Amino acid sequence: MIRLSFCPDRLNGPAIVLVLLVLCGLAASATLEERVVEHTMANGLTLLVMERHHAPIVSVNLTYKVGSVNEHAGITGVAHLYEHMAFKGTRTIGVTDAEKERPVLEELDRIAEALAEESAKGAAADQKRVAALREELNKVSAQADRFVVASELAALYQRNGGVGLNATTGKDLTRYFLSLPANRLPLWAAVESNRMGDVVLREFYKEKNIVLEERRQRTDNSPSGRLYESFTASAFQAHPYGLPVIGWPSDVSALTRSRTEAFFQTYYGPANAVISIVGDVNAKDTIALIERTFGRIPPRAASPAVRTTEPQQQGERRVDVEFPAEPQMLIGFHKPAAGHPDDDVFDVIEALLAEGRTSRLYRRLVQEREMATAVSAFSDFPGAQYPNLFVISAMPRAPHTAAEVEQAMYEELERLKREPVTARELEKILNQLDAGLVRSLRSNSGMASRLAYYQAVRGDWRELIRRRDRIAKVTQDDIQRVAKTYLIKSNRTVATLVKPSTQPAQVQP
Amino acid sequence: MNQRIVHIVFGVIALCLVLSAAALAETATGSGPPLDPRAMKFDPVTFTTPKVERVVLENGMIVYLLPDAELPLVSITAMIRTGAVYEPKDKVGLTGIVSTVMRTGGTARMTGDQIDEELEFLAASVSVVIGAESGTATLDVLKKDFRRGLAIFADVLRSPAFEAGKVEMAKRQALEAIRRRPENPAGITAREFRKLLFGADHPFGRESTLQTVSSITREDLISFHRQFFAPGAVMLGITGDFDKTEMLTALRAAFGDWQPKSIRLPQIPAIGAPAARSVNIVRREITQTHLRVGQLTVKEDDPDYFALALLDDILGGNSFTSRLFRDVRSRQGLAYSVGSAIRPGNMAPGIFLMHALTKAPTTYQALSSMLGNLERIRQEPVSDQELQHSKDAFLNSFVFSFADSGQIVSRLMELDYYGLPADFLQRFRDSVVKLTKDDLLRAAQKHLHPDRVIILAVGKEEDFEQPLAAFGQVHIITLTPGG
Repeated sequence: MIRLSFCPDRLNGPAIVLVLLVLCGLAASATLEERVVEHTMANGLTLLVMERHHAPIVSVNLTYKVGSVNEHAGITGVAHLYEHMAFKGTRTIGVTDAEKERPVLEELDRIAEALAEESAKGAAADQKRVAALREELNKVSAQADRFVVASELAALYQRNGGVGLNATTGKDLTRYFLSLPANRLPLWAAVESNRMGDVVLREFYKEKNIVLEERRQRTDNSPSGRLYESFTASAFQAHPYGLPVIGWPSDVSALTRSRTEAFFQTYYGPANAVISIVGDVNAKDTIALIERTFGRIPPRAASPAVRTTEPQQQGERRVDVEFPAEPQMLIGFHKPAAGHPDDDVFDVIEALLAEGRTSRLYRRLVQEREMATAVSAFSDFPGAQYPNLFVISAMPRAPHTAAEVEQAMYEELERLKREPVTARELEKILNQLDAGLVRSLRSNSGMASRLAYYQAVRGDWRELIRRRDRIAKVTQDDIQRVAKTYLIKSNRTVATLVKPSTQPAQVQP
Repeated sequence: MNQRIVHIVFGVIALCLVLSAAALAETATGSGPPLDPRAMKFDPVTFTTPKVERVVLENGMIVYLLPDAELPLVSITAMIRTGAVYEPKDKVGLTGIVSTVMRTGGTARMTGDQIDEELEFLAASVSVVIGAESGTATLDVLKKDFRRGLAIFADVLRSPAFEAGKVEMAKRQALEAIRRRPENPAGITAREFRKLLFGADHPFGRESTLQTVSSITREDLISFHRQFFAPGAVMLGITGDFDKTEMLTALRAAFGDWQPKSIRLPQIPAIGAPAARSVNIVRREITQTHLRVGQLTVKEDDPDYFALALLDDILGGNSFTSRLFRDVRSRQGLAYSVGSAIRPGNMAPGIFLMHALTKAPTTYQALSSMLGNLERIRQEPVSDQELQHSKDAFLNSFVFSFADSGQIVSRLMELDYYGLPADFLQRFRDSVVKLTKDDLLRAAQKHLHPDRVIILAVGKEEDFEQPLAAFGQVHIITLTPGG
């Protein structure tokens, strides 16, 4: 899945991260099942606590069941922009006087909306008025800035030893996380419950510029960013999974503060949230702490469901993305979401094809034929909540072309349909699932993330364990049947990065 | 038994500090107004660090042991005295190929494919990575499979077979990666900046090319391995669920007959410092400019390093509250990525740098703000509040440096490797507590040189709102094909 975060990783920064959740398994499941304490509050919020006492630290993960899948044309990027705004503070944090600040922010909105309206006239816009409004916007913006206590929310956490503060927005989820010395958990509960109840969107218009810089960095100037965006938009013609998380630039530019705040009111209620806490805490005390902080937040109306379903694909779709770069390609097949038995079969196919040096695509394409330098497969692209795609991709190695690599990948898919996989291949996948679960317990933050993910997307953190048990039951016949059903030409979208027909002067060094 | 055991104990570290805004203690009532998080006060963070045992095997191999039975896993990290800086200059890229093929190219006992098959079936992993100044090899394996994992790991270190097919494959992959360099402006920026700092021919500045990689032979790999891999050049750090005595027996069985030999490390040439500021531009057809401003700086054992680390934190090292974040990002809205970093050197001088990505038409403005912030931090003292914030953040998060046994052991090995004291982090902490605004100002004036920094901009020059010549003599860098 594609995730955008509030703050880039330090220097190496933000190539789009494709995260495959580590699949987990049996070996540690008994202890895991016993160690997680679940608590549902009256306002609908779900809390998961896992005690781990190896060091006096704790990791928290607050996951909201909202993402770009809840957007539509016109407001794309709003979930991600809101995530940025959540770091600007509340009525009490990040501001000297919220009462005096409010009328200034409202004045700013009036100017910004007038400016947007005038600019939208295009060639017919009154340029004098545009310039005057822009100047006024800067003036009032500077007035609003006088109330801002910059970075106060982050500063509070940092001063108390908080590390790893950040947030990510994806298709299905928006997630806020932090690790702290364990005795400072009450600070997090106070700040975060304040954020859930009472956020103020300040420095809004400047933040849109920052998001557009993020877009230039991740998408506009990145060959893989461009390819993923076009691929996903082509594969989903109806369902909002086709919308880019970061938003189309014109939508981000046009978003208003009131529209963004309405999005927050609709989707950030306590019943849409999962809190997962892993570390050196006492579960009973932690439940009491969350009750007396988040418990104050009144329930909100249920957020609207995503009603659109993607119609069945009626034939192969091919899309070229011109970019001055070496070739890359993505091939995606529509498939069902979690809850459908075939979904688990795809997890097995993903591992068979591209997990490790002994996987089929790696062995054949990278090692034996040396036509690619890397292969990958994703069984839940670009999200996991709704019917999605099974995606395979490869980096062709010159002089081999994308077309050759594509054909070679299809040969491996045909082999899946034709020959039963070996028992040893299936056993290897299970061994890796089981070891993966054991390893996941090494990290508080990783475990907190995993528990909240399964609770939010699959409705129950225990899916972490049940999924492994279902995967253990996948048979050779299942794999052949699923391959024959879904991995077919009429159900696929193929996106290829190609060099522009007329290249700009400087593409080669 | 010629065994030396050193107990390294950090003991109980109590971090006593009073939060500046402390007033109210948290109360446990459900009624009343919500608590003001700024007014919360907490007990100091106290923790004990586990005892790590250091053993020197008969053949000179150093072993750090830290058992931790929480999970049924065992991990080994080896640190090897080698590095890309020792590559012959016409074979730049060699250590990358050595790293890959030690892992993939089989051993005296097994083919590479057999190793892949066995490790993946056991859900175990072995890796080898040779960096600029050191090499690292790791094993991560379930406890029940430790014997098999250790046998493979030891063979990979001691007797890699460097199968010819895997050597060729690794070379072809490296060549493809070089061909793909021009499309990644962040990579161009990082490599060109190192060349400007250290010199394009210096071991710390140079980069592989199609030519240097093409010229690498299997014999080069064999001779590099023969030259640098020996028991006296290897430290092992072992964590996880094991018994110390049994572990030492297993290690002696795996490594005990590895014969010691003396290794002569090549000299690293000296580096000349730039006399004047320079502005360097790489022209690319991209809508966002990658900016870097930086200079060489101190080594890790320099007494001013601690002050510089705090200065960096205040200037741009801190992701959310630094001056660059607040000015260039939040206030001016010019960048999503902006900040600074200090990487103290060990074998060579360290690097201090500021970085930002901004749209082409705000390149001048962003660069000007970065330089302005650099000037300011050496002209006036930081505020009391900034200093206190930076200290509190460092001291209160100190516990995270001791949170994970693998991390504790790896750090001890690194300190050992670079000849730094084992209690370096404790000294760091104690020094930070004492630092004053004047200390920081003095360190800034001594070590930060805005008049001599190297500026690099990678982007579409004709779209910059003003030429960068105002900042110094401009050099246009032309990238060499295949370079």
